[in-house]
Amino acid sequence: MQNRGDIIGSAVLIFIGIGVVIGSIRLHVGTLSMPQPGFFPLVGGLLLIGLSLILLVQGWLGRGTAPGQPREAFGEWHRPLILVVSLSIYTAVLEAFGYVLPTIAIAIVILRVLGVTSWKALILTSVGLSVGTYYLFGRIMGIELPAGVLSFLA
Amino acid sequence: MDFLINIAGGFAVAFTPWNLVYAFAGVMMGTAVGVLPGLGSPAAVALLLPVTYGMDATSAVIMVSGIFYGSQYGGSTTSILLNIPGEPGSVVTCLDGYQMARQGRAGRALGMAAMGSFIGATISILLMSMVAPGLADFALMFGPAEYSALMLLGLLMAVYIGGDSILKGLLMMALGFILAMVGLDPVFGAPRFTFGLTRLLDGIDFVAAGMGLFGIAEVLCNLEAPEVREVYKASLKGLLPTLKDWQRSWAAVLRGSGIGFFIGMIPGGGATISSFVAYAVEKRSSRHPEEFGKGAIEGVAAPESANNAAAQSSFIPLLTLGIPGNLTIAMIFVALMIHGIQPGPMLLVEHPKLFWGVIASMYIGNIMLLALNLPLIGIWVRLLKVPYHYMAVTIIIICIIGAYSIRNSAFDIGVMMVFGIGGYLLRKGGFPAAPLVLTMILAEILERSAQQALKVSGGDLWIFIEKPISAILLAICVLVILLPLVKWAWKRFFVIQQR
Repeated sequence: MQNRGDIIGSAVLIFIGIGVVIGSIRLHVGTLSMPQPGFFPLVGGLLLIGLSLILLVQGWLGRGTAPGQPREAFGEWHRPLILVVSLSIYTAVLEAFGYVLPTIAIAIVILRVLGVTSWKALILTSVGLSVGTYYLFGRIMGIELPAGVLSFLA
Repeated sequence: MDFLINIAGGFAVAFTPWNLVYAFAGVMMGTAVGVLPGLGSPAAVALLLPVTYGMDATSAVIMVSGIFYGSQYGGSTTSILLNIPGEPGSVVTCLDGYQMARQGRAGRALGMAAMGSFIGATISILLMSMVAPGLADFALMFGPAEYSALMLLGLLMAVYIGGDSILKGLLMMALGFILAMVGLDPVFGAPRFTFGLTRLLDGIDFVAAGMGLFGIAEVLCNLEAPEVREVYKASLKGLLPTLKDWQRSWAAVLRGSGIGFFIGMIPGGGATISSFVAYAVEKRSSRHPEEFGKGAIEGVAAPESANNAAAQSSFIPLLTLGIPGNLTIAMIFVALMIHGIQPGPMLLVEHPKLFWGVIASMYIGNIMLLALNLPLIGIWVRLLKVPYHYMAVTIIIICIIGAYSIRNSAFDIGVMMVFGIGGYLLRKGGFPAAPLVLTMILAEILERSAQQALKVSGGDLWIFIEKPISAILLAICVLVILLPLVKWAWKRFFVIQQR
């Protein structure tokens, strides 16, 4: 049976390898005895393409790779997707809105995704964690966290 | 005599009040990390790296080292009580430890695990104190050619010995090599694969990448199937092994310690492999092998002393040669770099207080672990009752703060997220993360050493063969690569002939 995971994985890696090879050639490769900036990336890119082709063939022929690394099946993947989307929005708004408000929001999202339904628990935990970590890391440990819209409180 | 003077100096550093506090904090956090499935020691060290920015280098390494070897103590707790290994090095402890718990002997299993761990760690630290300076002296003979050959050998061994798929390990090495190229070329200063982003000129930050690959990726995987955490309900009685337990186990502890010390020193070796080997050796040499898997106390003593011995000896390649042999040690390597210290043979010469201070703190840390682990076992068991959702949200928030604090920029949170998604997909595809991380960390040094060697030789590649140490190391590289092929050919043709 064909190994779809290995086929897709190797295809992605081949695509990356081709991009790296093209980029390396643009950087000037030089020679084995006088390498230029593009030399080592070219070596890496060619290795990546070569090894990925072997994996692609193995996956196509249905031969699994060694049993040492167990593959994890996809479960309820909408949950990690929600986290990824939330983190992306968080990253985009962090500096404008500051640390506390977006962190409260993302904490509520994570807790909700993990099945916490009580609004009291959601609000208390997220506000407690955000404000607590802001003071612990920001004020006590001296890490500069963005104040954003709450800068008037500083 | 030198050894005694050096170790005395080390204790003088380790016994300062703040270093004692950091050692204690490290080992307690390490135990908690080991107890809690869902957070491994590489992730814990990566999360705490930003916290160490304000510390001096010795204190930082003392604390993060404590997390690593402390986690080996904690990992056995859930293995014995719940049949769930808290750390990879405690997987094999489940086999007999859990059976002992089911037979009402959980306390004795936990006690033997703690004491075996302590003895294994102590023997390993003692041997390390004697071996490491000699190895560092030998490594001073290394020039750039020898260094690049050594880096290459270290990476290949991490792939071939690591126990994962060799093909996928090599693929991750190649990918790690490419990712390490992002940023300014170390020799020519030309920007590579920065896509015009000035923030990428310094390359991909290891701290952000590490937090993504371990912290975020772990949470993403756990979000898919939120675990139902079992709770240990029976009471724990009698935490000390009996005299009969010791009669059965003392040899297993000594053998496990020796096995762990040697395997731990090899890049890619480490706690997991040494615990499996120690268990297999013990079973084979036992007069009652049929008892293994059914509650034999040697089945707990051997792997636990091995994994702790290996955790200590895995510092040897880092402190003497500058090669991290596993993921957590790689994060400790990053901690040293953050503090402006280049790991390698010059570490002992330029920073003897750090070198001996860290070794001395390992003695102290292991005593703390032995003294506190068993009395605090109730707390560790209660820790398992903390619902995962609180852990997950705390990990994410700490990761966000850690990534932001690198350069006070949300860009690094983005980098962490990309590596988090990457780490999640790698796990789904069965690709091992260790070769990726190790290569990302070492590739720049490898490239720079190779370029320097070629500059010295005027572009003549023979320098890598003419230098005897480099030639021997490269020959071992070739052997490591060819060995699986030889084994495959032997099985295929010799076995066919026999038929």
